Amino acid sequence: MSPDSELTDPGPALGPGGEAGPVRRGPAHAVLWRYIGKRLLIAVGLLWGMTLVTFALTNLVPGDPVAAALGQRAADDPAIVERFRQQYGLDQSLAGQYWDYLVRLVHLDLGTSWQTHNPVARDLAKAIPATMEIAFGAIIMAALIGISFGAWSAYRKGKMADQILRLVSLAGISLPTFWVAIVFFYAFYYRLGWAPGSGRLSPGMPAPPKITGMYTVDALLTGQWSVFMDASAHLVLPTAVLTLYTIGLLTRFSRTSFLEVLDKGYIEAAKAKGLPGRTIFFKYVLRAGAIPILTVIGLAFGSLLSGTVLVESIFGWPGLGSYAYQAASRLDLLAVMGVGLFVGLVYLCINLVVDLAYGFIDPRVRVG
Amino acid sequence: MKSLSSKRPVACLAALAVVVAVSACAEPEGGTGDKDRSGSASGQIVIDTTFDVKTIDPGREYEPTGQILVKGLYDTLLTFADEDTTKVVPDLATYMANEELTEYTLTLEEGRVFSDGEPVTADDVVFSLERLQGLKGNPAFLLDGVSVEKIDDATVKLTTAESAPALPAILATPSLGILNSKVVKDHGGATDDSDTAEEFLNGNSAGSGPYVLEKLDVSSEAILAKNEKYNGPQKATYDRVILRNTEPATQKMNVERGDSQVALGLSGDMAESLAPGVKIESVPSATVVFLLVNADPAVSDLTSKPDLVKAIKAGVDYDGLLEIAGLGAAQATGLVPSVFLGALDEGDALKYDPDAAKAAVAAAGAEGQPITLSFPNDIDPTGLNMTTLAERLQSQLGKVGLNVKLAPAPFATEIDAYRSGTEQIGLWYWNPDYMDPANYLAFGPGETVGLRSGWPEGANAAIEQLVSAGYTTGDETERQKVFEQWGKAMNAESPFVPLLQPGSNVAYQPSVTGVHYNPVWLINVAGLGAN
Repeated sequence: MSPDSELTDPGPALGPGGEAGPVRRGPAHAVLWRYIGKRLLIAVGLLWGMTLVTFALTNLVPGDPVAAALGQRAADDPAIVERFRQQYGLDQSLAGQYWDYLVRLVHLDLGTSWQTHNPVARDLAKAIPATMEIAFGAIIMAALIGISFGAWSAYRKGKMADQILRLVSLAGISLPTFWVAIVFFYAFYYRLGWAPGSGRLSPGMPAPPKITGMYTVDALLTGQWSVFMDASAHLVLPTAVLTLYTIGLLTRFSRTSFLEVLDKGYIEAAKAKGLPGRTIFFKYVLRAGAIPILTVIGLAFGSLLSGTVLVESIFGWPGLGSYAYQAASRLDLLAVMGVGLFVGLVYLCINLVVDLAYGFIDPRVRVG
Repeated sequence: MKSLSSKRPVACLAALAVVVAVSACAEPEGGTGDKDRSGSASGQIVIDTTFDVKTIDPGREYEPTGQILVKGLYDTLLTFADEDTTKVVPDLATYMANEELTEYTLTLEEGRVFSDGEPVTADDVVFSLERLQGLKGNPAFLLDGVSVEKIDDATVKLTTAESAPALPAILATPSLGILNSKVVKDHGGATDDSDTAEEFLNGNSAGSGPYVLEKLDVSSEAILAKNEKYNGPQKATYDRVILRNTEPATQKMNVERGDSQVALGLSGDMAESLAPGVKIESVPSATVVFLLVNADPAVSDLTSKPDLVKAIKAGVDYDGLLEIAGLGAAQATGLVPSVFLGALDEGDALKYDPDAAKAAVAAAGAEGQPITLSFPNDIDPTGLNMTTLAERLQSQLGKVGLNVKLAPAPFATEIDAYRSGTEQIGLWYWNPDYMDPANYLAFGPGETVGLRSGWPEGANAAIEQLVSAGYTTGDETERQKVFEQWGKAMNAESPFVPLLQPGSNVAYQPSVTGVHYNPVWLINVAGLGAN
């Protein structure tokens, strides 16, 4: 029997008694590290694949970037066009451009955007924290509320509370996010005046010194309370809109997941044994139901990072979505590739983290 | 379990409520807040617009938002007064021209200084203009064929091979702003493509304008601060000007609530429904929306028939188009918009004549034949929705027997077909590059836009003569006549159908004064005042 196979028996880890199985520490760590190493290797391969796909797709788009980037008169001047093509390497073959792109990528250089005339990496470094700030808030709130709603709904299956929560989650998923954003902005800013207007800070409010790029965090770290309050106030509406959608998603998945667990025999056994409801929920229901929910949270977070274009536009939020939209509409190929690569990387990391989390939560996964 | 399941969500909701309450209670500081809503001056003005800016290096910039910013940061040699867009007036210099209009001698006003206190000299002028030419950026064409020469420390001579009556107007374009050559050279500035000063100029300004750059983020916000050393004629009222990148619908709400003082990007529809108390400056913009009907038989046998062009010109119900264009819009009487010398009177505009259109359709043998109308569908020139306009045109032309198929595409892809002259019918627009009607001669045969419509040199000798005269005639009265003749001839014989000038709608708080539309730099931030 190999050390691996010793771990194929997870033992009574999820049994009613809650006792852990007989797991040996040394081999378990070795398996875990091998598992992590394997996942990382796959991630590197996927990363290379992503560069190829983003490059190929971006260059398949019809239209000449020169026409989109240069003014009407400048595009008629062959000398200016020639200089533009040389400057951005567009005078090379596609293979040459891809090779250059890879070489630059190794040096973490994503090229220069021709819509902002800045290095794409610098643009992303500004846009990503702005999006992260609303995405983090939204995913944390949505996870807390969505899982709670899902659990509540599952425990009250078929009753009034379940019906109401299912309706709420359906509404959360079905209502178009941009519409909710407009309604929220109109109601809470324009009509009621409860929330501040668009942007990350009020006009004239200086941004805090950059540490993470997330204004609330940076303001806290530097002790700028007024900036923190102002940045928090501006976060509320966009975060609430994104939270609403994600709550709907998580409530539905959590409910389904918890219902499956609640039907298991060992839950019945635990109840029969007289264990307190709190213990049953946290030790057995939540743990067993967490894996599919974790997957959905990961994917929802990825979606929040990459898919907030309209919400960012409505709230004047200079994040990744706005940047991606502007880059795509102006055929700013290097910026589009930069965003595509980042989004791919986000999903890669999320899947990696989720995979690793599976390994921690459920030892069977490490060797599966 | 019952108690647990019911308490958890309640706790989470309570946490959310606390966060919302704390955040909502946060009173914005340093912003406009209630102080500005009450109308008292706070020393800053917030202007909302939809950003279109890549750079604010004068030698490279050429987008609308860039023009607003560069106009505030850099003085030009000549300019236009806010209230009169027809007469060139001195800014950093006065000028004299020879009789042939091939030599312009510019004399710098005494004592004018850059924001670091250094005097503006002829060397700075020569460097700035030669840099614009040498960088070969978007605005380089403005000084094509112009040589720049320093006469003495306060005098510069510009020479052209041919008469150049439009040159004074060109010199007023923000891209031709005068840079502090020493500062720019210290940061990599050069008069050829070895120049590396753009990054510096996107974070700092080096001009003599009423404002200096405090901050620029091309995707979200730009802040200008008053230039304390400014000693020109246009003193800034506001200590700071904040331009924010905002969607039009949000702009409307912001200006109505008083959180911004000026909104530049409202469509005609939005302008019509503004809340009481918000003022609006609504005029026809200098943007001309037009149809090109390709005259090249290789592109289309049908559109290249003169009868088909006649059918379209007579088949468009121009008043019907204005219904969808909203406040401020007007029919384009010709290709030269109403704000420029040589614009045609209303009586000379194309007229809707369905009977004549039907007859022309029959003469062209075009009844029911499919023709493709291509247009960019993700761009709204001055708030005009191109898809709605294209649909209305399709419907109108359908009534006179034309079978128009719509082919919308994103701007970034459609612009390629437009520039390469492969569209059968194209729905496009033209913004002025500088404040002179010579700009619109680009529609002539063999010229930039003429070629896009399959209209090569030699296609119409009479119009070509007028184009040539338009470029070179100096006397203002004669010039006006030439442009009027050209406009009428273009309406009658060109493959272009001028449709409308969308409205330029600037909404602003009553506390703001001095709001005037400019065809090139949209608004002069230094000209804005406070009640």
